[in-house]
Parts: sequence; structure tokens; C-alpha cells
Amino acid sequence: MIKVHYFGIIAEAAKSEGETISSPSIPLKSLIGDLTEKYQLDSYQFQIAVNRKIVKEMDALELKTGDEIALLPAFSGG
Amino acid sequence: MDFSRQIILPQLGVSGQKKLKDSKILVVGAGGLGCAVLPYLAAAGIGTLGIMDGDRIAASNLHRQLLYSQNQIGLLKSQEAKKYLNINFPEVDVDAIDFFLEPSNARDHLQNFDLIIDATDEISARHLLNDFCQELGIPWVYGSIHQFQGQVSVFNFENGPNYKDLFPIADADAISCSDAGVLGTTVGLIGMLQANEAIKIVGGFGKVLSGKVLIYDLLSCNQQIFEFEKRPENNSRLEQISFPFISIEEVIQSKRTVLDVREKDEKPEILKENFLKTPLSTLAEKVELFDRGEEICIFCQTGKRSQTAAEILHQLGFTQIRLIKGGAKEILEQLSHEKDLS
Repeated sequence: MIKVHYFGIIAEAAKSEGETISSPSIPLKSLIGDLTEKYQLDSYQFQIAVNRKIVKEMDALELKTGDEIALLPAFSGG
Repeated sequence: MDFSRQIILPQLGVSGQKKLKDSKILVVGAGGLGCAVLPYLAAAGIGTLGIMDGDRIAASNLHRQLLYSQNQIGLLKSQEAKKYLNINFPEVDVDAIDFFLEPSNARDHLQNFDLIIDATDEISARHLLNDFCQELGIPWVYGSIHQFQGQVSVFNFENGPNYKDLFPIADADAISCSDAGVLGTTVGLIGMLQANEAIKIVGGFGKVLSGKVLIYDLLSCNQQIFEFEKRPENNSRLEQISFPFISIEEVIQSKRTVLDVREKDEKPEILKENFLKTPLSTLAEKVELFDRGEEICIFCQTGKRSQTAAEILHQLGFTQIRLIKGGAKEILEQLSHEKDLS
């Protein structure tokens, strides 16, 4: 089980604060690709955190059960 | 002022209080976040406070910008915030700067301060702050809002990461409070977290949110901290051309040519003699209607298309381009306010 959290406009696009992915392990890149397609996130810019650390390079990262990821866009209001 | 109740905190003490007194903090933006940050910094005993904002008070600000009241609508936020602080905290030296932060004035104003608080409402302003704070070696406290969520971080602190290490790309699509909606309590809480970081930084105590971004969700009361590191490859300066802003009031009171670059049928419709409907999609074809030397002010719904339109005109040889600070809704609001007054 992998938990995904959405923030800001990404939560609006996904119409959810988060969800749980039942796969025991999945490459980060393919999970983000799936979510981008599912919620049409192409036009949004966001950072990705794995276990509360923002990743610099997602290519080689393999997610495993218990990992939590977050999709973080910049906010702009004030 | 009697600071005895905070001086007895062992982390602060008399020496910490002196550091607050000797510090100079600039708050960029005197809107929702700025109104929360300013009184707490003044009350804590910060010696010098700068307030930078070219905007004027509007009726729709009052539910979250608690330094202002009904009878101040139309007045400059920086001046009115200064008056509030002068009355309530006379020991604080307050400097009101009646301009929006722009590339042409950023260095001159920022360099007079030890710490900057970001209380702006645009991502492009944060990139600008980041570039100049980086150049001048000044730390800054970031705060921003999306509906019930807020982000807080401290950048450029003791050679720590900066805004572009967290959010590398200028995202002009992100929307402001006026489009997304906001409660006064949300900006109040996030502004207070920013003021708290500022007091810790200048007082020299506690753990500063450097290399970390805090996200607070007021709907669930969940708080999460995410860590990030430097990414030198992202630190090129913003390539986007910056055009000077003009306030809605100044535009309305003048006879300048105003381009509404929204597409046909977008609401609200704004009818005024010097406001010309020139949708972005057909702008390039219509430029010959205008004189390249005349001053042209541009607006759209959120500001994104105005920037694009300004870049098109700039490429076509126009030299006097200004972006209106605010979108169609705010302009209509101001027009009806002026109509009520007349």
C-alpha cells in the first residue's frame, strides 16, 4: 500500500485530498505518469515528495509498501 | 513599551530583545498576510519596519485585511498600515513604500533591510524577491495561500536553499486569493507563522524553517513539513520580462488606452470608453490601431494573459506597456465604487 497526498490545485484537479495505491511496489515515475493521465495534470507544475522529502530526480526511485508521496504545487495567494 | 512578558522567556532574554530592536524588516505586500505580520512584528519590538505596496484598499479586502476599515477604501495600503502602526506602536520606525516590487526598484529598497517577509500574492513576485535576496544575501520568509491551505518557509538563510530550489519554474497559472477564495483566519494564521519565523531569525533562537516547507491545512488542522535541498541547476534568474504595474484607481482616473485581452463573451463585461476589447488571440492583428509610443495598460481575468499580451506588444516595438494590478472583477468593483461616490 502506498499513500498519495494532494495539495492546492492538484487536490482540486484530483477532487480528493489523497488516495491509497494497492500495489506493493511501483516505480515513482510510472505512478506519477498514471496519476497525471488519470487527473489530467499535464498543465500543472508540482514537486514530488517521498516520505516528506522532495525528490530531485525521480527516474530511479522505486516505491514500496508504506511509502507516502505528496504532490506539491506552489501556492500563490496572500 | 513593556516587553517584560517576552523578555522572561529564556530563549529571548534582554539580549534577544535588543536584537529585535536593532533589526530592520521589510514586509512586501500589505494585504492579507501583511496585515497579519505587521502588528505582531511591531508589538514584538522590531526597531524598523518597511511596508511596500502600491495597492489601494478595496471593500473586498476588509474581511481579511484587519488593519483597514470601511472609511479607508481607495487609500494606499502602505500609508494606512503605517498610520496604524504609528498610533499603536510609536517606538517603531515605519517606512511606507508606495510602490509594487519591480525589477527596477527591488535592489534599492531591499538592500536597506536585514530580513524580508513575502506577503505578496503572485508567484512572479516571489521569483523576483528570490533573485534580489539571493544577490544581496538577505534571508526571506515565504508565505502563501491556496484556499484553506498555506505554505511557509525561510529561504536564503545562512546559505540555505531558496525558492527556486523548492519551486524552480515560474508558474503563471497559479491563481490568487481573489480567484480561489480565502478566509481571513487562513491568511491570519499563515501570516502569524511568518512573523514567528521572523522573530526567531532576528532574535537568534529556535529552529528556523530553512530547507523545509510547512504546509498547514485549516480544514483538517493537519500540518506537514517537507524537506528539500539546494538545486543549483535551477537557479538561473527569471527570464520573463517584467513590465511595470499600474493600480486600478490610477487607470480609471486617467484617459490611458486600456486593452481588455480576454476573449469575446468573458464575464464580467466591462464597458468604458478608453477600454478596448482586444482578445489575446487577435491582438497581433490589431496592433496597427495603436501608436507604439503611447502608454498602453493591459488587463485580463487573472494576469497571465496580460503578461503574454505585454510580451507580444514588446516584441512588436511598443515601449510604454503597463500591467494593471488586478483582474476584471477588481476593476468592475472599483468602477462601481467610484460610481457610488460620484
